[in-house]
Amino acid sequence: MKRTSKDSQCKLPDNTALKQQQLPAYQLQLSATGVLSGFFATGVFCLGVGIILILSAKSIKEIEIKYTEICGNCAKLREDATNFDKECTCSIPFYLSETMQGNVYMYYKLYGFYQNLYRYILSRSNSQLVGTDLKDVGNCAPFSKSHDGTPIAPCGAIANSIFNDTIILSYNLNSSIPIKVPMLRSGITWWTDKYVKFQNPSSINLSSAFAGTTKPPSWAKPVYELDEEDPGNNGFLNDDFIVWMRTAAFPTFKKLYRRLNRIQYFTEGLPAGNYSFNITYTGDQKSSRDVAMEARDWSDTRKALSSKECKQPLEAEKSKNILP
Amino acid sequence: MGWQQSLQESDVSKVRTIYLNEPLRNSFCKNSISTAKYSMWSFLPRYLYLQFSKAANAFFLFITILQQIPDVSPTGKYTTLLPLMMILMVSGIKEIVEDYKRHMADKLVNTKTTIVLRENAWKMIMWKEVIVGDIVKASNGQFLPADMVLISSSEPQVTCYVATSNLDGETNLKIRQALLETAEMQTEKQLSSLSGKIECEGPNRHFNTFIGTLYLNGKSPVPIGPDQILLRGTQLKNTQWILGIVVYTGFETKFMQNSIKLPLKRSNVEKVTNVQILVLFLLLLAMSLVSCLGAILWNDWYRKGIWYIRTKDYSSHSLGFDLLVFIILYHNLIPISLLVTLEIVKCVQAMFINWDEDMHCKGNNVYAMARTSNLNEELGQVKYLFSDKTGTLTCNIMTFKKCTIAGIIYGNQSDRSDINLEKLSLSPSVITESCEFNDPKLLQNFENDHPTKDYIKEFLTLLCVCHTVVPERDGKNIIYQASSPDEAALVKGVKKLGFVFTTRTPTSVTVEAMGENFTFEILNVLEFSSNRKRMSVIVRTPTGNLRLYCKGADTVIYERLSEDSRFMKETLTHLEYFAKEGLRTLCVAYADLTEEEYQQWLTQYEKASTVIQDRMRSLEECYDNIEKKFLLLGATAIEDRLQARVPETITTLLKANIRIWVLTGDKRETTINIAYSCKLLSAHMPHIQLNSNSFEATQQAVTQNCEALGTRLGKENDLALIIDGETLKYALHSEIKRSFLNLALSCRAVLCCRLSPLQKAEIVNLVKNHVGAITLAIGDGANDVGMIQMAHVGVGISGNEGVLATNNSDYSIAQFSYLEKLLLVHGAWNHFRVTKCILYCFYKNVVLYIIELWFAFVNGFSGQIIFEHWCISLYNVIFTSLPPFTLGIFEQCCSQKSLLTHPQLYRISQAGNTFNTKVFWFQCLNALIHSFILFWMPMKMLEHDMVLQGGHTTDYLFLGNFIYTYVIVTVCLKAGLETLSWNKFSHLAIWGSILIWLVFLAIYSFVWPTIPIAPEMRGQVNMVLVCPHFWLGFFIVPIVCLILNLIWKLIINTCNRTLLEEIRELESSRAQGLYPPKMFKRRVEATKLRMSVASTLQKIVFPNESFDQSIPHGYAFSQVEQAVITQEELVRSYNTTKSKSSKISMDSSDSR
Repeated sequence: MKRTSKDSQCKLPDNTALKQQQLPAYQLQLSATGVLSGFFATGVFCLGVGIILILSAKSIKEIEIKYTEICGNCAKLREDATNFDKECTCSIPFYLSETMQGNVYMYYKLYGFYQNLYRYILSRSNSQLVGTDLKDVGNCAPFSKSHDGTPIAPCGAIANSIFNDTIILSYNLNSSIPIKVPMLRSGITWWTDKYVKFQNPSSINLSSAFAGTTKPPSWAKPVYELDEEDPGNNGFLNDDFIVWMRTAAFPTFKKLYRRLNRIQYFTEGLPAGNYSFNITYTGDQKSSRDVAMEARDWSDTRKALSSKECKQPLEAEKSKNILP
Repeated sequence: MGWQQSLQESDVSKVRTIYLNEPLRNSFCKNSISTAKYSMWSFLPRYLYLQFSKAANAFFLFITILQQIPDVSPTGKYTTLLPLMMILMVSGIKEIVEDYKRHMADKLVNTKTTIVLRENAWKMIMWKEVIVGDIVKASNGQFLPADMVLISSSEPQVTCYVATSNLDGETNLKIRQALLETAEMQTEKQLSSLSGKIECEGPNRHFNTFIGTLYLNGKSPVPIGPDQILLRGTQLKNTQWILGIVVYTGFETKFMQNSIKLPLKRSNVEKVTNVQILVLFLLLLAMSLVSCLGAILWNDWYRKGIWYIRTKDYSSHSLGFDLLVFIILYHNLIPISLLVTLEIVKCVQAMFINWDEDMHCKGNNVYAMARTSNLNEELGQVKYLFSDKTGTLTCNIMTFKKCTIAGIIYGNQSDRSDINLEKLSLSPSVITESCEFNDPKLLQNFENDHPTKDYIKEFLTLLCVCHTVVPERDGKNIIYQASSPDEAALVKGVKKLGFVFTTRTPTSVTVEAMGENFTFEILNVLEFSSNRKRMSVIVRTPTGNLRLYCKGADTVIYERLSEDSRFMKETLTHLEYFAKEGLRTLCVAYADLTEEEYQQWLTQYEKASTVIQDRMRSLEECYDNIEKKFLLLGATAIEDRLQARVPETITTLLKANIRIWVLTGDKRETTINIAYSCKLLSAHMPHIQLNSNSFEATQQAVTQNCEALGTRLGKENDLALIIDGETLKYALHSEIKRSFLNLALSCRAVLCCRLSPLQKAEIVNLVKNHVGAITLAIGDGANDVGMIQMAHVGVGISGNEGVLATNNSDYSIAQFSYLEKLLLVHGAWNHFRVTKCILYCFYKNVVLYIIELWFAFVNGFSGQIIFEHWCISLYNVIFTSLPPFTLGIFEQCCSQKSLLTHPQLYRISQAGNTFNTKVFWFQCLNALIHSFILFWMPMKMLEHDMVLQGGHTTDYLFLGNFIYTYVIVTVCLKAGLETLSWNKFSHLAIWGSILIWLVFLAIYSFVWPTIPIAPEMRGQVNMVLVCPHFWLGFFIVPIVCLILNLIWKLIINTCNRTLLEEIRELESSRAQGLYPPKMFKRRVEATKLRMSVASTLQKIVFPNESFDQSIPHGYAFSQVEQAVITQEELVRSYNTTKSKSSKISMDSSDSR
């Protein structure tokens, strides 16, 4: 379907096909046969992808437990503002009927928590978090400075509202002694966050590095005491802190909490049996929350994708969302 | 009409006094001129002012200012400023380049040199140094540097000749004469001792008026009039030198006063676009208000839930503040780059017009020129074409084609020379020397003592003697200089027959007939005027007899024939026959005078020529007394040659549903003749002739005709309306204007003759205002300027008759036939291109920015933006900037060959169905659906947060980058879907844009913290590009979006095919070497059938006297009337036997 530029043979040196608008061009023709065959090809492609997605989604095992209601007394306790610093724990037993094979990840999930509010996302100081300028709290309003004018580190609404429940998973091997399931907190952040975006200010020790700043009002401990055992996890480098600081797109979101350390009994994953979550309910967050476990196979395919389908006549099947 | 009216309005201005030889007392403006828009210093403020007076740019400036308010802008502080600056820079560069050219041109003019009397000596100075009061010496061929009063010249009678074609477009030379009081002042000494003053009116723009008085010390004041004024921009001709005193300089010269910028014409598409931008602005406000409302409701609902941002502080913001946030959030709904994109696109389109080899006249090497680029798409919508006749449809070249002598017709084998004619008309330079009359029979009859031999001799002698032509010897050749092209054609024609007019002296003409010289003493010249319609000379023949030779219109000659005259009937039938052929005819006759008769008349004549009051009339009466008792010799027929391919072009344009109106100052008869020969009128087409000389008669005629048409009024009928200027004056009366217009619009062709320039403009204005269709006016002369300016699109014919029409036009072409390509190809293409480009720009902005609205639904209407600030601000200037350009520059709906062979295709763009409010809303709706899919699908994809390797969770910008990438892919592919003709640039733009974004994403994700921008983007690319979901969506999401459009197009293509699709299919199958599909054949046949049926239906015969099928006589003659020097004086002032110290060349000037 190329148009030849024969009839525009040059008469003058600058009489080019471009100037005479005679450039060879492919003419886009939408013929019924062409479009329909393309249509079917796309349909077949989508069908194939859909089948693969459904299969892989089925191989994912997931447990999701809402604990706001189960730990209802704690939630009630928190509603009274005077009890905000009282510790409250609750235990949630559950039974795993099948082994969760492969890598197992533990998430917490918050409902109706708007991490995507304009003023919330604005309220952080990236230059503070990168460790260069601790005093830079310009955008952090209303959590930039304490009442006496000391800059807050880490400042801003995001840092202030950090999720600080602790969740411990125990395995009742012989229905008598619960074993604490070994969990890793490392590697739960984006690599760039841990090694580029978040850096502690350089100093002899962390507490002196953060001198002249104060803790966010909702925090129990200052930032340099988040993990005193592991200096690589302390201060701004705290993994839980970093994960929280990546603000979610939707009001209901999951954040990675821990991943299974595949040692001892757990080299294959989580074996079937009795487990329980021991949760320390803290903070004054009123959002309801979940703890979720997800196991992944070799395929490492994702559940989320299975909720997406091609709008093709041939590929009408919508794979089921595997919700708990 | 503005042009005309402003000419009429009187400039009330102060009197200026110029002191001679006292330069210090004269302080007026400098003679340096500047046509440039900007100077070095004024550029920035002036340019910014011009740019920000455009509503869209002002809006973006307003947004930029708003963004500076702390915390109000969700998109950062400078994200609108940067693209705005880039856009201003691009159009700034364009302005600078254009202005630089103007500066260079000005510099060239300002540094031209001239000779001026300074400190008692002639000095060479630059034009810009010339001041008022200077005495300038100019020599032959030079352009004059300023307006000045002629004080002396090298020529006898202190005259000089100037060519004024730069000013008024007339090619004949003008004669100027100095005051006798100053004629003797020629030496430096005389001049520098000159003292006194000139008082004159202030600067104004009227070429033909000047009022002043010269006060020389010791002498009585002398009035100065326009005959003493030499204007800047005119060229000195046939005069060795002149001296003049400068009176106006620089911008105060009449030339510069007339070159005031024309009002900017805006195209229809542009107007619609502005409305649509306004609609988008309203949409933006509506979206902002909805979002504000959402924010209020959400805050009420969630007030307690959002402890994490301290609602107390948060809710302190007022509604107005929120509104500003949302306006900034959605402001890019208005495409920031649209204006500059269009500007560049149209600029390139204009260049394509300029480059077009098909519109390149090889003969005089003139290319078509787009003088404005605003109206490119308007060329595709023309519905009414108003054409001048002379010089536009015709070449204004007369050739002596046929004649009838003593009842025998000669030169009647026209068919043979037609092919020859076609070839010749391609190169106008050759034509002038050719003569079409070629009938050996005439000479045979003459030589073989045919009974009519004496008549033939007398006929040819008359044509050699009775005229005002001046012969000029150029070696062996004789060149005839004539102010009347008809006369030149006749003299040239006779020369070929062996009767050569060789010499003119003040009292005689010499004719070389068959090798012998005869000298005729010219006793009197009885001048031509349009009143008299004839011209005579009284001569003493070589044999000593007195004879009067006369040539003129058939009507005036016939009423003066004596009873002895023969061949009257035969000649009359021949005249009718000539007229039918579209030839211009003249009757020739003679009368013998006796001595007494002549002497008697001479005394009368002398008395009449000294009458002070109404001399013209008394002279005419005197002439009338002797012009009687003529003996008819025969008649001549002159062809007013059409320009090349005019009939074909007119046929094509008529097929393209363009109505053609001919507006001319010429006579009714000649106009009709030309209309026949250019196939605008056909023999079976009934005419409606409107020819009344009172309002009542006109009203009656119009009403009568309207009634006769009945239900066909307002529809297109195969009718022609012919009206003259006099009748039109009544017809345009407000009472019957409407019904006259209805009548005119019901006719396929309209001829208006004997129009003044003002009336031409009035008609165009009438149609423009009452019909609402796009009008185009084409013309070549100064009298067409009004209509050229008035019409939506003005086209000037360049290269023939001066520059005034061209200078006032929007497009200039060398020949009428190029209009075909200009309209059908460039016009149609540009219309498609511009509208596609505009719609696409709207589409792409709506797609991206409506996503912000969808996101607002999940983020509590807080004003959070889902994309990174800079990505969003570069969207229009980088990532999606190329596809609009390729659409606007390279898109072709089908090949130019098809456009020209199927003029019906023009109706698509003409009707404007590809661009109106409906299409705009359809496109917006489409964009809305796309944006919804583009938001909803990635949202569902990422809703569960677990898509990454190693179980990592994502953030809002991760979603944003997904969506942004899909938007760019979708938008680029949509451009691909819109592109019907993919050339290499389209590929480059579409795939290149996607690639640019991906590369940008990769680089941009590594910027923080090395450069302190975009901290949120750090690390995004590592996560986004390795995510398989991203790649799956990369293919699926755009497909899902575009599949809707594809299906829609397919349905339209299959079920509701237009001619365009048929032809495109034909083209591609032809390119593949296949035969045209059957369906197409059927279609073409059907179209043909429909058209033929329509034409038979429209063939009607009206029982009405003003419907006229007969062809009137084609008398036509052109001659300059009432010049400074009369025809008689002109004839008397030449002596071609002398070596020419003062040669005069009077080029053809036509009558219109």
